[in-house]
Formats: sequence, C-alpha cells, structure tokens
Amino acid sequence: MALKRTLSALKRELDAMTAVQSLVAYSILIVFLVAPLALMVGQAFLLRGKLSLYWFMNLLSSPEYVSLASRGGRLFEVRRGIMYIWGYDHGVLLNSLIVASAVTILCSIIGVVAAMLMGRYRFWGKDVFRVLLLVPLLATPFVNAYVIGKLFNPRGGLINYFLVDLLHLLPWRLDIDGLVGVILAQTLSYYPIVFLNVLASLNNIDPSVEEQAENLGARGLRLFRTVTLPLFLPGLAAGAIIVFIFSLEDLGAPIGFTGARANPLARKLVSYQVYSSFAEALTGSFSPKIAALAVIILILAVVGFLVIRRYVNMRTYAMLSKGGRWSPRLRTPSLVTRIAILVSLGLMVVLASMPQIGTVVLATTDWALAGTLPTKVTGEFLSTLTTNPDVSRAIVNSLVYAGAAVVIMVLVGSSIAYIVSRKGIPGRSVLDVMATIPVAVPGIALAVGYFLLFSSKFFRGTPLDPLLDPGLLLIFAYSIRRLPFTTRSVSAGLSQVDKSLEEASMNLGASRPTTFFRIVLPMIIGHILGGSILSFVYSMSEVSTSVTLGALREDRVPITFFISQIIYGVAAVGAVSIGAALCVLLMAVQITAMAISNYVLKQKVAFLGV
Amino acid sequence: MVEVVLKGITKRFGDVVAAGDINLKIEDGEFFTFLGPSGCGKTTTMRMVAGLEHPDEGRVYFGDKDVTELPPYKRNTGMVFQNYALWPHMKVQENVAYGLKVRKVPSDEIKKRVSEALELVKLGGLENRFPSQLSGGQQQRVALARVLVINPEVLLLDEPLSNLDAKLRVEMREEIKDLQRELGITTVYVTHDQEEAMVISDRIAIQNLGVIRQVGSPTEIYRRPNSLFIATFIGRGTILEGSVESLGEPATVRAGELALRGYPSVPEIELGAGMRVACVLRPESFLMKPPDEPYNEFEGTTEWAAFVGHHTEVRMDVVGHKLIVDVPSDVDTPVGQKLRVYAPQSDTIFLPFEG
Repeated sequence: MALKRTLSALKRELDAMTAVQSLVAYSILIVFLVAPLALMVGQAFLLRGKLSLYWFMNLLSSPEYVSLASRGGRLFEVRRGIMYIWGYDHGVLLNSLIVASAVTILCSIIGVVAAMLMGRYRFWGKDVFRVLLLVPLLATPFVNAYVIGKLFNPRGGLINYFLVDLLHLLPWRLDIDGLVGVILAQTLSYYPIVFLNVLASLNNIDPSVEEQAENLGARGLRLFRTVTLPLFLPGLAAGAIIVFIFSLEDLGAPIGFTGARANPLARKLVSYQVYSSFAEALTGSFSPKIAALAVIILILAVVGFLVIRRYVNMRTYAMLSKGGRWSPRLRTPSLVTRIAILVSLGLMVVLASMPQIGTVVLATTDWALAGTLPTKVTGEFLSTLTTNPDVSRAIVNSLVYAGAAVVIMVLVGSSIAYIVSRKGIPGRSVLDVMATIPVAVPGIALAVGYFLLFSSKFFRGTPLDPLLDPGLLLIFAYSIRRLPFTTRSVSAGLSQVDKSLEEASMNLGASRPTTFFRIVLPMIIGHILGGSILSFVYSMSEVSTSVTLGALREDRVPITFFISQIIYGVAAVGAVSIGAALCVLLMAVQITAMAISNYVLKQKVAFLGV
Repeated sequence: MVEVVLKGITKRFGDVVAAGDINLKIEDGEFFTFLGPSGCGKTTTMRMVAGLEHPDEGRVYFGDKDVTELPPYKRNTGMVFQNYALWPHMKVQENVAYGLKVRKVPSDEIKKRVSEALELVKLGGLENRFPSQLSGGQQQRVALARVLVINPEVLLLDEPLSNLDAKLRVEMREEIKDLQRELGITTVYVTHDQEEAMVISDRIAIQNLGVIRQVGSPTEIYRRPNSLFIATFIGRGTILEGSVESLGEPATVRAGELALRGYPSVPEIELGAGMRVACVLRPESFLMKPPDEPYNEFEGTTEWAAFVGHHTEVRMDVVGHKLIVDVPSDVDTPVGQKLRVYAPQSDTIFLPFEG
C-alpha cells in the first residue's frame, strides 16, 4: 500500500523535466561519488577474494600506524640554545587524530574568542578587523606551511631573529616543525571557519533573550554559560567538524613543511601516506592497506559530519521574535579593555596572516634566497606566470578544469536543489544527503576511489582512465567536491522563492519546465552565479585530487600540483618564489570572486559549515 | 463555466486530517465559500480543486469530467493566492499576460485582453509598474486580473482579502462579488472571516478538523445551524443550557427557572424527553414589545450596555442567566434598571448539547 502510494506519487511528480534532472543528478553522484568510494571500501575489506578485516587489523596492530609509546620526536626540548617543538610520533593514524583534534580545539578557542569580541563589543577599527580576520581564508596551498617553516627556522628565521636577536625576549631560539608545525599552519588557516559560523549564530540570537537573562539577574560568565553559549553551540559544532575534516585530509601543511625543513615527522600523517603511495601506484598496483587507511579517515569524517549535522539541525533554534529591537547587543568597553582587545586582535591577525603576507613577499622579492629578510623587490617571479610555458600550462589547465567543473556543478547542483525543495518527490532526502556529503569526504579518499575505479579493467582506455589522461577525471573530482557550495547557494535562492509563485504559474497553465525557466530561474540566477563563482574559486585551489590524480600526466597538471612540486623541492632552488607567485594569482582570483559575489550579486558569503 | 463536484475527498498530512470524506456539489456560476477556523483544511480542499494537492481518496469532477489525475496546468482554474504570488521580476502587464503567453495566444490579442482585464479591475495605466511598486490593494487587483484574463472555468480565491486593511477589505469584497456576478463564473472562496463569508457567498460550507459540518445559504446557516458548533462559530448569541421538559409543537425546555418554548434548529434534530439541549437566542431576535406570534418573555436587570451605533448591545441578568440583547438605540437602558424583552418562539432554537 505504502509502496503503491509512493509509486503513484512518483508517477504524478515525475514529469519530463524532473525525470531528466533526477537522472542526471543520480547518475553523476553514483558514478563519481558512490561507486568509487564503494569500490575502495570493498577493496579494504577483501583479502584474496574473501571478506576480511585483515588490512584493518594489520594497520591497527602495526606500531608504524598506531603506537601508544612515542616513536620519536621532540616537544619543548632545549638543545644547544634551541627549543625544539615538533611533537611526538605515535604512529600515522594516531598522529592524524591528535593533529586534527588539536587543530579543532585551537580553532574553536580562537574562533569563539574572535566571534565574541566582534559580535558583542564596539571598538575602534572593527570594520578593518572584520576583513582582516578573514585573510587566512585566502588559499595559499603549500606555501603557507613553507612560510611558517621559514619564519620559525632556528637558523635565520624572522621570528627567532625578532624574539631572540633583536628583542632578547627568549633565552633560546624556537624550532617549530613536524606535527606541531602542521598544527600551527592548519590552525592559522582554519580558525576563520569557526569564527564565521559562531559569529553567524551570535548575530542570530535575539538580543531580548540575553536581556531577559540579565533582567533576571544573570550576568558575565553565568550569562555566557547559561544562555549565550548554548545558543551558539550549534554554530560552533558546525564549524568545528569542518575544521576536523579539513585537518584530517589536509596535504598542504605536511607537504609544505617537508619542503621547508625536510623534517620527516611532518609526513607521518594519514593524508601524506596516502598521497605518497600514489607514486608507487603508477608502477604497480594500489596496496589495499592504503585503501584501508583511506577508509578509516573516510568513515571518521563522514560519521562525524552526519552526527554533527543531525545535532545542528535538531538544535538550530528558530528565534521566535515578535518585532521589537533587533540589532546585536554591542557594548562599548572601558578604554583599557578596548586597548587590550585591539592589541590581542591585532596580534592574532598579524600572526594568522603571516602565510598570506609571506606568500606575497616571496613572490615579489628575493626572500626565498636572501635569508632572514628580503633584500630587493623583483617582478621576475610574477612574470614567469606568463613567460614560463610550464607555469602557463598549469594555469590554463586549472582554468579549463575549474570552468568545466562549474558547468557540471551548476547543472547538477541546481537540479538537486530544485528537486529537494519540492516536497512531493519520494527519495528526495537521499539526494539531499548525497549532495551535501562531499564536504565530509576527504579528497584523498576520493582520489584513491577514482584511481581504483577508473584505472580498472572496466574503464581502461576510456577518456576517464587517469593513467591515460587525468584531465576529465579531475573535472569530475572538482565537480563532486565543490558541489555542496553550488547546491547550497541555489537552495538559499530557492528558499526565497515562495512555493505559491510556482503554483500560480502552473495554475495559469504553465508546465513545470516553463515554470522553471520563466519563473524560478530568473529569480535564482543571482544565487546560481554566486554559487558558481565560489565553486570556481574553490576548484582552482583544490589540492587533494589535484596532487594525486593530477600527477599522472605531466602536461595535464593543475596549478596546485605544480606548486606542490615546487615546494616539495623537485624543481630548482628559487622556484619557491614561482610557487608563491601562483598563490598570489589564486588569491587575486579569490578576492575578485568574493568582491563580485558580495558587491555585484549581493550574496552573503556564508558557505563553510554543516 | 462548470459545476465542481467533490466525491469522497480525503487528504491526510501525517496524522492530521485536512479533508475527511468531503462530498459536495458546487453549482455552475455559484459563489461558494469554505469557512472555518485556521487549520481546518479549507485551503487544502481548494488546492485539491486546483490540482495543487492530490487527494488520498476520492475524485474531483468538473462537470462530467474526472480531473483528479489532471495536473494543475491542465485544469484551467484561476487561483488567487493569499499572498497574491505576483512574480516580482515581471511588470504588471507581464504578470497578467503570462497565462495567455503560455497558451500561445497571438501577441496583439494578448495586448488587447491584458488591457481589458486591467480595466476590469480598474488598474488601467499601471501596466509598467513592478509589483513592489504597488499598494496591497493594487497587488490584489493584479492577482485577480491575472487569473480572469485566461477565462478560467473555476475561479479560486484563497483568503484574498486577509492582507488588506479593514476598509479596503469591505470595498474589495463588494467588487469581487460584482465581478463574479457580472462574469457568472463558478467561484470557490476560502476565508476564516464569517462576516465576509456571509456577505459574499451564495452558499457556505463550514469546515472543522477537515470535516464539513454544514452547507447552506448564509441565512440558513445563521438562523438554522445544524449543531452547537455552528451556532457558536457563526454570529453572536446567548446559549442557555437546559433539558427538554415536554415535546410537541413548540417543545418546552427548562433552563433553571426559565421555561423556553421553541423548535429544533433543523428538522433532522429529534428531541427526546429529558434530553440535554442548548437553546440559542440571537441578540437581534429580541423585541421590546410583544410580537403578534407566540413568544418567550424575559425580565431582568441590565448589567452592562455598549452603544455601537445602530443599536445598543446589552447584557442582562435574568434569574442568573446572562442574555445578550440588541436594543434599538432610541431605547434608554441604564445599567442596574429592570428590562423586559420578548423573543419569538420561531426564533428560539434548540440544539443537542455537545461536550
């Protein structure tokens, strides 16, 4: 009976257009998301054709992957005037978990403090900080970690020069490297994710709710603990889980640190291990052990994401305000407090923007070779973007991949958003989850899945075979990984199109396709453009699949792969500056895109979160 | 123009019954209103006529044609939405021309019919405005013109006046009624405003919790409610609780010290001796002088009086019972004074007591 009703509802709702939209959406999601991951999971559970936990047991019992005792490393150890802050090696898997947890906690603290300061206090220069706090969002893959490594180098690092040689603040030089280096680099780039989510939640709290609590006698920490914190906790959770996932799958920091300092400790991470096995995969086959490793972080990320998403959906309180004043509660603190806020935010912004500043300095001066400080300004690195044929080709490749991916994302993303927004269609929640989950799927896991599926017998020799040409596969990888941005943006647009606007059109005799193209599309076109611009930018700076699948053919490499090669030290000395120049290009594209999105399309940039 | 027939229509949303086995025939050219408290399912019922909802059970007919499986865009109904649903990216004339363009009407004819429709709703000259540049009343007229222009077989109006201010609401409802009469179009109207329903409708269906409780002309429903729910939902009045003392024509009901003579509200109601009933007395049925027909007489004290223009609303205490009485405004009714009023037995109606 229930099935019959579902079928008849399906028959009624599935007109030609909806059928085509569903078909396109489902087939792309199945071929490029579900199938590769399923195959990878399958491989990890197979031993000589039989279902087995062998590879997982093998991983968990090998000290190389899990070791409760330290296998090396230094933490706050002083030797010959240098304090080594590297962290201890507890095996690849535990290291990844420790790093991701530490980054999540640090980002949460910094993000909440920054959001509370920005969301609850009035002080001079706030508008400037509003922008500066987001600078770390500008993508400078690999180079950011390289810059941090260079700044904290005990031999000639700028920070050590300042703190020890110039100001004599510290008795020893600092050597931040290895896992701690990765934690530092990731914290600096990811805290804005928590900051933005918490700030959005804070601004969404009806001021009278806090005022009522004060009216009843709660103030200070008690007010924060009993009213404010519970109300922004969903925002914090949403931001924190994204940070955790990003940290787990990040390749930029491990590769960047390896390039800067050649300390092997920075490579003892799951993401790096999976990445490096791609090199072996070129010649032989993929070890199921690596698949198992990827499956573990896939499960951690996806389960964490779904749990948090459920919690956030449950706890997202609609504010039931009936008019009245609705401007965030801002107070002007005393002069001393204001100065303290300015100094702490200032320090934070400077520290967090170091990678971006450093990248620009690297790209425009001889800093890469000059030691502590740059000696002269030069335009030679920026000009290589157009003069060096290898560099230009990488740029063109990335533009083509990202452009093509945007077309796919717009088609699939708006189809999904439209179908999901219509309550009548059975199975829409499945589509909703499938379109959101790529946020949580580690890029390297997807890369492994792609390699396994598309280099298999079934696809060998087809245009999708990565060993033949990874270009097309990269386009689909970008499409899938950045799909949530487009879908979310279009959904936001659709939520502003009242259902009755479509119903009025159908009532007047317009079929669903006519209604979509004449009524819905003109109203959401701004959101579609906004979503595609952001998706384009994030595709350009995509790392995980670019540096793995992209490596498979030299003339098909995208920008990020090129940068990773430079930083990793494969290219000649001094080429770091060329990598930095490419990052400057990425930042420029990103700033332009955000400006267009904000000022031309009037779209709020709120795109990172559950 | 066509008659609309609903046969056994049922629609559930989860556990909520929006429409419970509705059987109705809306005559060709009739102005038919669904009236009920919010959430009673009246809008859902109308949406099933438009094809925007699909009934779980039952069939919808336009004339002899079964349209249950027909999608909304093939039904040729004209629906005015509560929020008007004007497309914000289209000018007034584009909004109105839409249905004709979809029907591939030649463009010179579209032009002619659009300006006719706009004249009809007195909006000539505003063709090139965007909806956001119009007042609420003007938006309402555009919404009306947009559906009238396609000559729909059935006009559907979903609380079209609820977003207008009180004065405009009265003006518009008269205009809508005039238009409907002029065009002779079968019209289904949804509202929760009983006064609006009374003024505008040929017949009213009162719906509660998905179920149609009574169908009838405004006078029938007002004067002969078929249940205490209807009697209390429609209009003001005094409800006296009592039990049947003697049967006959008229029957006698005892409520405390009062003996009331009257009749069952509708013939379907059968009174039994000792049955608990409610006696309903409308405020305007009271007279200051004994009428020529048989009557009930009440004597009591004025407790409260409010002058409302054409009459004075008086609450009087009659041996412990509170009576609401409309007294002509030329009669002086000082609070605390004795007052004697008469209610014709034909206006004294009995209904089975509920709950």
